[in-house]
Amino acid sequence: MKASTRWLAEHSIAIVSPLVLLGAWEWASATGALREAFFPRPSTIAVHLGQLAADGTLWGHLATTLIRVAWAFALAAVLGVGIGLAMGLWRRLREGLDPVFAVIYPIPSILFLPLVGFLVPPGEIALVVTTAVTSFFLIAFTTTHGVRQIDRLVVEAALHYGARGWRLFTAVLLPGSLPFIFTGLRLGLGFALIVVVAVEIVSSSRGLGALLWLSWQILKVEDMYAAFFVIALVGAVLYYGLAALQARLLPWVQDVADS
Amino acid sequence: MSFAVPVVLLALWEIASRLAVVSPRYFPAPTTIAWVLVDRFVEGDLGAQSLVTLARLACAFALAAVPGVLLGLLMGIARPVRAAIEPYIAFIFPVPKITLLPFLLIILGVGEPAFVLTGATSAFFQIVISTLGGVQSLDPRLLEAGRNYGAHGARLFRKVILPAALPSIFTGLRLGLGLALVSLVAVEFIAAKSGLGHLVYRHWQMLSTPEMYAAFVLVGALGLALTRGLRALQARILTWQDDPGRL
Repeated sequence: MKASTRWLAEHSIAIVSPLVLLGAWEWASATGALREAFFPRPSTIAVHLGQLAADGTLWGHLATTLIRVAWAFALAAVLGVGIGLAMGLWRRLREGLDPVFAVIYPIPSILFLPLVGFLVPPGEIALVVTTAVTSFFLIAFTTTHGVRQIDRLVVEAALHYGARGWRLFTAVLLPGSLPFIFTGLRLGLGFALIVVVAVEIVSSSRGLGALLWLSWQILKVEDMYAAFFVIALVGAVLYYGLAALQARLLPWVQDVADS
Repeated sequence: MSFAVPVVLLALWEIASRLAVVSPRYFPAPTTIAWVLVDRFVEGDLGAQSLVTLARLACAFALAAVPGVLLGLLMGIARPVRAAIEPYIAFIFPVPKITLLPFLLIILGVGEPAFVLTGATSAFFQIVISTLGGVQSLDPRLLEAGRNYGAHGARLFRKVILPAALPSIFTGLRLGLGLALVSLVAVEFIAAKSGLGHLVYRHWQMLSTPEMYAAFVLVGALGLALTRGLRALQARILTWQDDPGRL
């Protein structure tokens, strides 16, 4: 069998089954087997999605959400990698911060919204900081673990060859922990999207989460599905795009988040 | 030693709040919060609201765990099933599950089923993926050895595949429980009229900050107890393998 034929044979179910499902949904909604008020036809949803895109509403919300995610991610990445590296290198710092982090980390980030609103100006800044909270912890944890898992033998060998301080850091510690840092960044970005949607539902009139929620409140069901589809698409692109990027940039390591 | 930093931080907060360096209205002293926490737990509804959240969590977890593990195992051993279902799982997995809430609200109406199901879906996909991963990462040599010793079908599954996948399944259940808690609290914050998440929201709106922080602390304690407890349980039950999800 040719490679392409084999690929097709293996993936045929994966390609056909969504098409069948969409077809069945279209048919069921058209004939009334599914209530069209709750399950509008996929073709209707596509039309609404097209309208939202054509009049620019969709792009506005999408841009708002993406900009928020970008700011939150930048904030979480800089602080998370910095503090994570420091915690990995200095035992004292790690032992001091570990219990604080362990208590704060499992708290759902959305609950930080009020607290953050007390600390920084409410509105856009509070929204971004809240979005960054869980990502920060995730990135800091993974980075710390990345530094800690470096083989002691490698570090000792580097020391014997005279690597000290900055050199040791850039030549051994940073490359050694890079796969973990990257995984942390990837998971952190995913979490930023999750949280930003929840925060937008609660406290914003703009953004994809807000579009979804406002569409629900005025029962524009087709727009709800359209918003959901776009959010899902953004999630999938971030998640799988970054996994592919990681495989490309760091080909020598197995994905540490695979398990 | 390891509790020195938290204690110092709390002490600083206490002093700053008492001396009004930070606004005590927004940042009440930790002792005030602790007092309110105990008082509302004994006299007020904090205990009852915690039970509401716990009950929702239990339902959501049960709804996710059983089908999640079964589907993960089935996808692991039956290739066609996996090929047919994996695209959906892969598409939905990275989606924030809170986005399902409005759909469940219109289909099921505003109420417990919609809240619980939103929490359940968060856990479900994690559990499926971890379980599937556990079956897939099975060492082929183990399978061959099992076959050579005459294990086939149900026997092979029970004696080789299931024990090998168990650590991943457990990790999936643990992560799933954590995700279910996160999304349930978010659902309570957004849409429900009860539970710890709603308490934080309500007291935020009323600016009764000590009560808000008390509910906040309880959510944190709940999360910590669940993750730590399950991790300890996992280390105890599954002594033969490293925790694959430990980071």
